[in-house]
Amino acid sequence: MSTRPPLPAPPTFANGAIRVFSLSLSEMLWSRRTVFLLLVTGAPVFLALVARIVQGSGIVPLRVNGVAVDGASIFGMMIWVFYLRFIVPVLGVFYGTSLIADEVEDRTITYLFTRPIRRGAVLVGKYLAYLVCTTLVVLPSVVLVYFLLVPLGQVARTFMSFAADLGLLALGLAAYGALFALVGAALKRPLVSGLVFVFGWEQVALLVPGYFRRFTVAHYVQSMVPHAMPSDGVVSLLQSVLKDNPPVFVCLLVLAAIIVATLWRAANTVESREYVLDQ
Amino acid sequence: MTKRTRLFLTVSGGILVAGLGTGLVAAYVGGFQNLTLIGASGPNELAYVPSDARVVAYANVREIMDSELHQKLQSLHQSRNGDGLARFEAETGVDVTRDVDYVVAVLGGEGTVSGEHQGPPLVMARGRFDEVRVEGLVRSKGGVAEDYKGQRLFTYKDAAPDRNVTGVALTFLEPGLVAMGVDSAVRAAIDVRTGATASVTANEDLMRRVKEANADGNAWVVAKFDALVNGGKVPSDMLQRLPAINWVSVTGHVNGGVRAAMRAETRDETAAQNLRDVLQGILGLAKLQTGQRADLAAIVNSIELGGEGKNVSLAFAVPIEAIDQLANLAAARAAREPSVDAPAAPEAEPVPAP
Repeated sequence: MSTRPPLPAPPTFANGAIRVFSLSLSEMLWSRRTVFLLLVTGAPVFLALVARIVQGSGIVPLRVNGVAVDGASIFGMMIWVFYLRFIVPVLGVFYGTSLIADEVEDRTITYLFTRPIRRGAVLVGKYLAYLVCTTLVVLPSVVLVYFLLVPLGQVARTFMSFAADLGLLALGLAAYGALFALVGAALKRPLVSGLVFVFGWEQVALLVPGYFRRFTVAHYVQSMVPHAMPSDGVVSLLQSVLKDNPPVFVCLLVLAAIIVATLWRAANTVESREYVLDQ
Repeated sequence: MTKRTRLFLTVSGGILVAGLGTGLVAAYVGGFQNLTLIGASGPNELAYVPSDARVVAYANVREIMDSELHQKLQSLHQSRNGDGLARFEAETGVDVTRDVDYVVAVLGGEGTVSGEHQGPPLVMARGRFDEVRVEGLVRSKGGVAEDYKGQRLFTYKDAAPDRNVTGVALTFLEPGLVAMGVDSAVRAAIDVRTGATASVTANEDLMRRVKEANADGNAWVVAKFDALVNGGKVPSDMLQRLPAINWVSVTGHVNGGVRAAMRAETRDETAAQNLRDVLQGILGLAKLQTGQRADLAAIVNSIELGGEGKNVSLAFAVPIEAIDQLANLAAARAAREPSVDAPAAPEAEPVPAP
């Protein structure tokens, strides 16, 4: 009687997450959602390129009430207006909520869950793929915008804030992604909830005096921005008057806590929840 | 991982690494502004300014005089300023509106933070001057000519003993370049010219700011902040409340209107953030206060607060229309005020006693 070879040991949580990561990265990068990602991150690059061309022809690209705005200030405004207020939260919502929800919707989650990999590792692996995918699109876009707008002579003076921008954008993507990964794992219609959170709750909470802002991600991300907030309307004026910036180390600690806690909770949710596929 | 995914990761990572690497190199070598390809570093006359200068100011008189704003102001105040300029021209042969191209003013480094005086001032003007006529004027006022290191120097000391003036001097450093100021400052400029002492162009800290200011406007001031507040002109209480500021630069561009920017470099990022917060608050209040005043709202709304790290900047613009409005407002106010020559109101008739 021949003996059957022993079955290989199932991969550890980390190994499982890495396998899902390498599988999901290509899938995520070449999906239709990436077209949206490229459009969203390409718009600031395009605007910066236009500004550079206009500047090259001797015309001041941006004036605020007749005042010429220099390249470094335009870059600061773009970080606020495009990246912090729109791109980072929106990518967090779209990608974060879809990590599990897409698999459920496409009815492919069964194939993932029948693998000898812990369910939580599936979510963590997909989250890491999201993080690499978005940071490697968003951050190069910021680099291009920076070098298109800021003259070489000002690079030394502005480099530290530029590096801080890159760091906090990556941190923002990580925090929003983890939060919405939990939303995607726990709720039935995660995209709607995510959009309501980003464009409803966060916007209102930042304007209300008191402690509400502490229950937003934007409060901690925006508190670390090295650029002055653009005064582009009543909302910005109110935000600047009411702002109560916590110290940087507090922001870092809170964001780290959000990432770890929500990711851990999301992994636990995926481990325990029964996903019922629509017939 | 597919081949095109690897390619994408390589290109994205490459852009990121190249950007960060370029920035790091720039930060390490102190920027690329020293490359000769990138613009001039300020007026050539800085080559005569000693390296310890703490305040440097520049005004492109030619551009300002030719500006639409000056034409407008001249039409408003012709009678007030015309006499002074005409008298100056009659004495020196210099028509300021035509003969002066630009002016560089400097405060030297002898003043101390707690001292009673600022460093000696020096003014250099580039233009077209009748040297013989200027020399004659100086002599007629009691000036004395002397030779200082091969340079003809005119000095003048006030005879009044109570004025405590150390003496002023004037020299032509080059044809078309007159330098005047406190005697020691003019002699220091000659020392720099002869190479006895270093010029301010070797002062990288100051020159970096001068270059930035020079690119921004046709009139500017770059100063060490303590040099500006020397001499007890700023109350000590106020000084203690001010954030720790190292450098201040003010640039202005005068053309159809005026656009100006003030930049401050603080000692650390906390001080900069404090200063930004204070200015942001003041700006918010100003916007609320001027909401009903269309003439002032245009100016206040143009104020833009910015800056990052240790830098704080405040920019604003006064368009020509706003200047027109302000001039009209001033004219209307002047018309409303009773004239000195106006006859007094007649006294009331005394009421007869009942």
